Amino acid sequence: MTETLPPVYGGEILHVHLDSGDTEIEPIDPDDARRFLGGNGFAAKQVAEHVPADADPLGPDNVLAMAVGPMNATPFQSTSRGVLGFVSPMTNGFFDSTFGGTLPRAQKTTGFEVVVLHGRADELSYVRVHEDGAEVETAQELAGLETYETCQAVREREGDGYDTHVLAIGPAGENEVRYACSLHESEIREGVAGRGGNGAVLGSKNVKAIAVTEGSFEPEPVGDLRERSIQQMGRLMADTEMLQEYGTAGLVNPINEMGKLGQRNMQVEQTDPENAEAVSGERLEAEYVTEDTTCANCAVKCGKHVSVEAEGITQAKIPEFESLFGTATLQEVYDIERVIKANDLCDRLGMDTISWGVTVAFARECYEKGLLDDDDSPHLEFGDADGLVELATLTANREGFGDELAEGSFRMAAELEDAERYLYGAKGLEFAAHSARGLKGMSIGYATGTRGGSHHDTRPTLQYDGNHDETTEGTPEFAARSQHFTALGDSLTQCRFVSEGGWGTMVEENYAEAINLATGWDLDVEAVERIGERVYNLERLINAARGVADREADTLPHRVMNEPIPDGPAEGMYCPPEELDSMLEEYYAFRGWNDNGHPTTDTVERLELEDVAEAV
Amino acid sequence: MELELRFFATVREAIGASTARREFRTGATVREVLAELESAYPALEGTLLDGEEIAPSITVLRNGTHVVHFDGVETELTDGDRLSITPPVTGGDG
Ligand code: SF4
Repeated sequence: MTETLPPVYGGEILHVHLDSGDTEIEPIDPDDARRFLGGNGFAAKQVAEHVPADADPLGPDNVLAMAVGPMNATPFQSTSRGVLGFVSPMTNGFFDSTFGGTLPRAQKTTGFEVVVLHGRADELSYVRVHEDGAEVETAQELAGLETYETCQAVREREGDGYDTHVLAIGPAGENEVRYACSLHESEIREGVAGRGGNGAVLGSKNVKAIAVTEGSFEPEPVGDLRERSIQQMGRLMADTEMLQEYGTAGLVNPINEMGKLGQRNMQVEQTDPENAEAVSGERLEAEYVTEDTTCANCAVKCGKHVSVEAEGITQAKIPEFESLFGTATLQEVYDIERVIKANDLCDRLGMDTISWGVTVAFARECYEKGLLDDDDSPHLEFGDADGLVELATLTANREGFGDELAEGSFRMAAELEDAERYLYGAKGLEFAAHSARGLKGMSIGYATGTRGGSHHDTRPTLQYDGNHDETTEGTPEFAARSQHFTALGDSLTQCRFVSEGGWGTMVEENYAEAINLATGWDLDVEAVERIGERVYNLERLINAARGVADREADTLPHRVMNEPIPDGPAEGMYCPPEELDSMLEEYYAFRGWNDNGHPTTDTVERLELEDVAEAV
Repeated sequence: MELELRFFATVREAIGASTARREFRTGATVREVLAELESAYPALEGTLLDGEEIAPSITVLRNGTHVVHFDGVETELTDGDRLSITPPVTGGDG
């Protein structure tokens, strides 16, 4: 058992009670550091300890835990991300959403590895965090402001320019749009905690922003982490060339080429090459990108700014690949300028482009099939680019049909007869761009994902390289171990691109070496993977206690299980129910879960989770 | 035989075109095609093949399917095949 906390940790958790403004500081138990590492793991532990199993995600009993990793603000590359952990108003289960920029590094220097927001402020407020603690500042004047405007207004009020690192919600969060996100505008790059409705949780707490000021804590790695990071640099830069030049938008063309890029609400998965070109990274780079942007301590610099004169847009965040799927290809909208406009609106208003886009595409198919009509909304034809832009504002403001879109596709489907067959998501969360039919690892990965439709539980990257994309053989184990990899990475809070590009796509020796250099521990690669496994099981335990994780919940939408991809290179691929059943059986057995998908007592013991299993 | 070649991202930049149609020996393998492309386009030299294997910095699709699902670098191509060459496909942000 670890006795002392390695000096790479700030050592404390800051609890902020929004109703009273009181704060408490809790020391980090060294044993928790060893078990959960940081970031994702720490946030999940806070949710397990503080959120009752029957708490309403949009009620005061939910918490929002903002956490950083052990190596944040060290030379270890791109551990610049932060994690927001909470119970999601989309899935009613544990959710963690990460974001980049400069705020997480600033948080690390305050010495608070986790800042936990409890309760609900009486009036619209922002939370100021610094090395001595936090204050809850009433800020009624921020009501209705967009995300960027809020960041700026808070910076002005604090008077330290970009030395105040702000994460803010927009009108969508204030209006509790279920998939509202939050956005951090730093001097060098925006960071968006996109998924799961963290913006709605903040909105429900009357928190418009969190503002962090740097402190004096300097994490001290025990070994030479700088040298070790430099050793990975060549591999990192070679493997991330596409990201450096095109950002994630560079994925549009190749994935369309594979016939695994959803169009028309997933009715087909390939469009003509000209359409893909029209919304591709190559085109964005040639015609719209004005500059590269980056998170703290990152050489890859995958961020880009775009300007579109005709739309009056200057230096907006480039639409990411996932957003191009949600707002372009899935809508059959290939007018890139309108797509950029819709994305910029989502960023400003504070909405997740994936869940919003997939929800709009779902509504459009319901319209096409006669379940909705023009009286519901005049913007529901596939291909209607102007309508798409209109719907963004209506959704964020919950105006007219936007009020229904604001609930997400699953809640809409519950109100519409025969609409479930058009859903594309799991456990209440819409899927990201990586095909649930065309990639077998995603089929089982999405079905068992803690977050539902997230591409950061099981990763698609290796599948695009021909591993576990077309076969179910060994794929359940692959999906589970990939989930260990992502839970570990999000506990380290290392950027996934940098980790996959420079350090390895599964948990491997490199990670053990880096963690040991940082902490002075002596973990072998199995022990390091076990941290990811432990965090993943902790999330599963939270969700099982909330009644949202069992055999019945581990499923895929109708189309994925019943309608093969109709044409293109991946023609015929899908995941029929019997295939999912047999993969689930294998997956549960590998994990040490019972037939209902719950961790057994032995598994809980093996992973040293007895105390948290009891807490949930 | 004639192949339809499609290039993406950094590969496209090096070639200066997004598509090409080119004649190859009937039954040419992926390796032969990549080698010929390396000699035809000096900017690609050393980027498509790593010794006898496909370089880790590229992904090759035959008619949209990753060539590992055929015979990898040994895959024999047939007239009219579409060969797409792209940097490796990573997994998207979010
Ligand atoms: S690769 Fe991109 S997202 Fe990751 S740390 Fe660098 S700039 Fe940020």
